[in-house]
Amino acid sequence: MTTTRRIILGAALVLPVLSVLPASAADAIRLGYQLPLTGNTAQYGQDFKTAAEIALDRFNASGKLPVKVEIVYEDSRSDAKEGVAIARKFVDDDRIVGVLGDFTSGVSIAAGQVYKEAGMPQLSQTASHPDFTKISEWQFRNITTQAGEGPYNANWMLSKGYKKVAVIAEQTDWGQSVVQYFAEGLKAKGGTVVFSEFFNRGLPDFRALITKIQREKPDAIYTGFFYEDAANFLKQAKQLGVTTPIFSTSAAHNQKLIELAGADAEGLSLTTNFLPNSPKPEVKSFVEAWVKARGAEPGQFPAQAFDAVNIMLEAVVKASPNPTRAKVRDALAATKDFPGVTGLTTFDANREPQKQLSKARVVGGQFAEVEN
Amino acid sequence: MSDLRRLPLVPLALVVVVFGAVPWVLTLFGKGYFFQVADLILIFVLLSASLHLVTGVAGLLHLGHAAFYGIGAYVAALMGTELKLGFLWGLPAGGLAAAVLALIVALPTMRLVSIYFAVATLAIGQMIHTVLLNWVAVTKGPNGVMLFSGIRLFDIPVKGPLAVYFVVAVVVALSIVAIHRLGHSYYGNALRSLREDDQCADAMGVDTVRLKIEVFTLSAFFAGLAGGLWAYTTGYVSPQDFNFSNSILILAMVVVGGLGSLPGAIVGAVLLILLPEVLRGFGDLRNVIVGLVMFGSILFLPKGLIGEVSALALVRRHFVRPKGEVAGREVGW
Repeated sequence: MTTTRRIILGAALVLPVLSVLPASAADAIRLGYQLPLTGNTAQYGQDFKTAAEIALDRFNASGKLPVKVEIVYEDSRSDAKEGVAIARKFVDDDRIVGVLGDFTSGVSIAAGQVYKEAGMPQLSQTASHPDFTKISEWQFRNITTQAGEGPYNANWMLSKGYKKVAVIAEQTDWGQSVVQYFAEGLKAKGGTVVFSEFFNRGLPDFRALITKIQREKPDAIYTGFFYEDAANFLKQAKQLGVTTPIFSTSAAHNQKLIELAGADAEGLSLTTNFLPNSPKPEVKSFVEAWVKARGAEPGQFPAQAFDAVNIMLEAVVKASPNPTRAKVRDALAATKDFPGVTGLTTFDANREPQKQLSKARVVGGQFAEVEN
Repeated sequence: MSDLRRLPLVPLALVVVVFGAVPWVLTLFGKGYFFQVADLILIFVLLSASLHLVTGVAGLLHLGHAAFYGIGAYVAALMGTELKLGFLWGLPAGGLAAAVLALIVALPTMRLVSIYFAVATLAIGQMIHTVLLNWVAVTKGPNGVMLFSGIRLFDIPVKGPLAVYFVVAVVVALSIVAIHRLGHSYYGNALRSLREDDQCADAMGVDTVRLKIEVFTLSAFFAGLAGGLWAYTTGYVSPQDFNFSNSILILAMVVVGGLGSLPGAIVGAVLLILLPEVLRGFGDLRNVIVGLVMFGSILFLPKGLIGEVSALALVRRHFVRPKGEVAGREVGW
């Protein structure tokens, strides 16, 4: 064995020892948060972490509990392999009474199988897969699913007289549900979907798709995408001279959309339950703290994460003293009219959040609430 | 002394470690997390060892291995959910399905050589991934397949992390023995001759195209088995688990461990699964450190952690019947 080989193999053996985490305050109650802090979706995970830190600092300063609450963050890279390992890790830690995350539905579901088996409450801020909350009574989410948003948008468009609608969405579990629930809502009220197609996330060129949409001459276009794809789509639609009104879901509600698409984002209509310029005091104080930490206004997802952490903390308070996983789950299930930055939240019998939606449009480089 | 030498000490030691020491230590810690990581390591050991046959031994750069892993996982999961056929059916069926598909795609592609072959496997991998993602009617598309029934062996449910570990370990160990026998035999030597000079091998009468098709199919079979294990240990499969970056991860295990060396492929898999987990304490830096370790190992150990030559010497010393027992001329293995 050569010297270099010995050094490398030696290092590989020593590293695990180095990684033993420092033990923290003995009495603290712990929550786990699994989220992508690195990898392709790191920007979302980093946002969630900032939101969770704001929520946790406030909670610990408020003195609602005599003991401190800690959040253990683990990076899943939006990879199911890592997500499942993290889930086992959280389950092994007896001090952890509840888990937040993950970001994507796929990783959330894979981890959810572990939480179901072990009996650990799991609250995801973004997992919108229709089957996520069906895994077991331990899964909750703080994102309105397309079952609510789709028909809401369909009604909105019909009320404006748009009966022929073209629908496009990304080819993910979420995109599937966007199309399905919107089409059902539209057909039920007498509208028709004249065109429907899926595209793979990160598609650089939407021109072919836009041309196909134009051929169908729809009254409006309904889109299921996140801000990166949205910016590309809106720019290219403008270049091709599309004047058809474009509607989208709350997932596209992100300040970065306006940064990326600029003037081409003007006129985009979407649903949301969080508007950073709302006069509500809880929204104002969250936006202030966020701007202080990050320098720009928060979008929809950080707001959902902020509320999810607060809902979880509230459940820990209700389950105290001596919160257990089962007590926290029951407290979560009993959440009713929780006043968050995304409006009042109530979990229904299927652990789905009931929230009020509002209508917004990009006007003058800002998301502004509109009547219709 | 001579009696002692006859005992297969190293293989025995490996069996004791995998079936004795590791589960014993993990049970001492009593943690599901360690078992989860151990299961994951075993699954990737199998993936890495199966790719080792194609890329390491036969010298064919294969960039789509994760797709065959995915086929195995999907077949096992869909058989469990749609046909209610459990683990004992799903696991071999996953392997066979991957092998059949590999055979079909191998027939036209095996005439390609070097970089052209690599690009063809890249395309095959992407095609399979795209089909898993977009064939919604069968694969449930991006929604993935949730498999609620756990592992059952002859109607006995396998419960608890220790039992699952043993099931995974037995499947992987048997597969590794098979891969070992394939690689360290006249057959393996024929494969190595393909890698060294396929025209020369052809001229010597070795049917190179047939060998390539066979090894590609065999390798896909073991990848399919690994997929079945993943489906049953996780309970959920989605197309993202079988994308290009997973193919690259498996390839990196084979290269870092040592091209052409089975112990290397195993060590590479252990290292590249274990390292990101034990480095969790480093936060965002952990990916950088994993990258540096890979970079460093290629820079300082271009032949891998356990290179082919030392691996073959190890195998000759410990895994082959001692001299004297073999009747007749001593040639090859």
